[in-house]
Amino acid sequence: MTLALAVAGALCYFFGTCRVGSGTYHSLGSGVFIGFICGLVYGDVTTGLIMGASINLVYLGVVAPAGQIPSDEIMASSIAIPLALAGGLSTEMAITLAVPFGLLGVFLDQIRRTSNIYWLHKADKYAAEGNERGIYLCGTWYPLAVTFIIRFVPVFILLSLGADAVYKVLEILPSWLTTGLSVAGGLMPAIGFAIILKCIGNAKLLPFFFIGFFAIQYLGISTMAAAIFGACIALIAFFNGNEREAA
Amino acid sequence: MSEMMHEVEPVANESQVSESQQGLSNKELFRTYLRLYITNEMSNSYERLQALNFCVTMAPHLKRWYGDRKEAYIEALQRHLQFYNTESTIGSVICGIVLSMEEKKARGEDIPAEAITGIKTGLMGPMAGIGDSLIRSTLKSTILAIACTMALAGNAVGAFIPMLYPVIMIVVGYYMLKLGYDVGRDAVTKILRSGMFSRVIHATSILGMFMMGALSSSYVKLKTPLSFQMENAAKPVVVQELLDGIVPGLLPLAAVFGIYLYLSKGGQKYSALVWVLLAIAIVGSVLGVFA
Repeated sequence: MTLALAVAGALCYFFGTCRVGSGTYHSLGSGVFIGFICGLVYGDVTTGLIMGASINLVYLGVVAPAGQIPSDEIMASSIAIPLALAGGLSTEMAITLAVPFGLLGVFLDQIRRTSNIYWLHKADKYAAEGNERGIYLCGTWYPLAVTFIIRFVPVFILLSLGADAVYKVLEILPSWLTTGLSVAGGLMPAIGFAIILKCIGNAKLLPFFFIGFFAIQYLGISTMAAAIFGACIALIAFFNGNEREAA
Repeated sequence: MSEMMHEVEPVANESQVSESQQGLSNKELFRTYLRLYITNEMSNSYERLQALNFCVTMAPHLKRWYGDRKEAYIEALQRHLQFYNTESTIGSVICGIVLSMEEKKARGEDIPAEAITGIKTGLMGPMAGIGDSLIRSTLKSTILAIACTMALAGNAVGAFIPMLYPVIMIVVGYYMLKLGYDVGRDAVTKILRSGMFSRVIHATSILGMFMMGALSSSYVKLKTPLSFQMENAAKPVVVQELLDGIVPGLLPLAAVFGIYLYLSKGGQKYSALVWVLLAIAIVGSVLGVFA
């Protein structure tokens, strides 16, 4: 592992998880982009692209309701691609390497969102003083600095220690922990969906939740089809409901 | 006195007001949206999710509109540090409406703080449901699928296809914010009185609920590997097959619903909730209940 590749991998991870721009960090953190950058640094763009796309495809359908990520595909790509490039591993082996790190990355995001509570409380104080600049810093640069430390540093250390260190990490991960983390990954979106249900806050509308849920389970329709049917149901309710019903 | 006039002749007065008050230009609205877009997720915390971002987005305008009325300014800042969470692209319509309401309130119109908070809490859930399914699920996976197909063929352009995602979000989000601001500027008080608004919330809530059901169904995954051997049976009884035989998706449904019940009973400890769920998942795997 060259230093340049370790820095590239760690920087890819930082930019992919920096949360700057609601959608921008997603594209910087996509497997294809990380594969391209690492391939460029290593000197083999095509292999990098193919590895990146293969890892990307594993996580294609991932959605993070209320910001609740089920797995960290960015960590998966940022660690597996540089290692696989430097170690001459096959794309399949890169994917095998990626998955456990995707699970571990969820921890880091939970640490980030827990640490952001500190800045929120600081912003409360600034608000009471009418200090707009302080609120701005608590909402931007301070969390970004924390993100840099918890994202860039561990990946950089791991990558610069090289393949042996990474395999050591995988070895000491017991199988119950990886299974547990993957179960947790399947459950994390449930928190996000429940938060949104709570935000909608009208228990009388829960039957629509069940219609949506079982339309997928029994009829196996796609999300897009569900959106079309859902929109029609909502429009019917809009045009037929009188104000008293709605209130 | 002028406020009394508003009550009597809302239509005539509103057109007068919008002539005398320049309001926010399109350029200013775009810059506001960029601020919302760029900082949206940076400060996301387990306590109040996107609250700090909403306040960061509003603060410069609040400062300008409230000027040296420090008490009202501080109140407004604190108003926008309350719990908030939505999908920022579709949900920026809320930011637009709130901008127009705050502008009117600062100008001295009779807009109670509860109405502003009510709009936010009323719309954030439905908009999150709609935005998560259209933008964060459908649009994102479509763009990434195209990018992956190109990259697998060794085409480096594929690496830049994901950039379409933020571009579309910026365009759609800006127009949603502008829509909210324009609707709010001209008609928010009228809409509030006519009951139109509760109908909009009602219909979008239905869509939000429906989409949350559909997405939960696709994305929440929980299965049990448990099975036991009956004494005289040839095959072991597989619990997951039993559950699927009753109702498919029972475990994911129970997970979403269990958490929803905790939250709707007033549970606020999101951070604890995440760690507890993690512990349940790991303990469950150790015991062989989940896999």
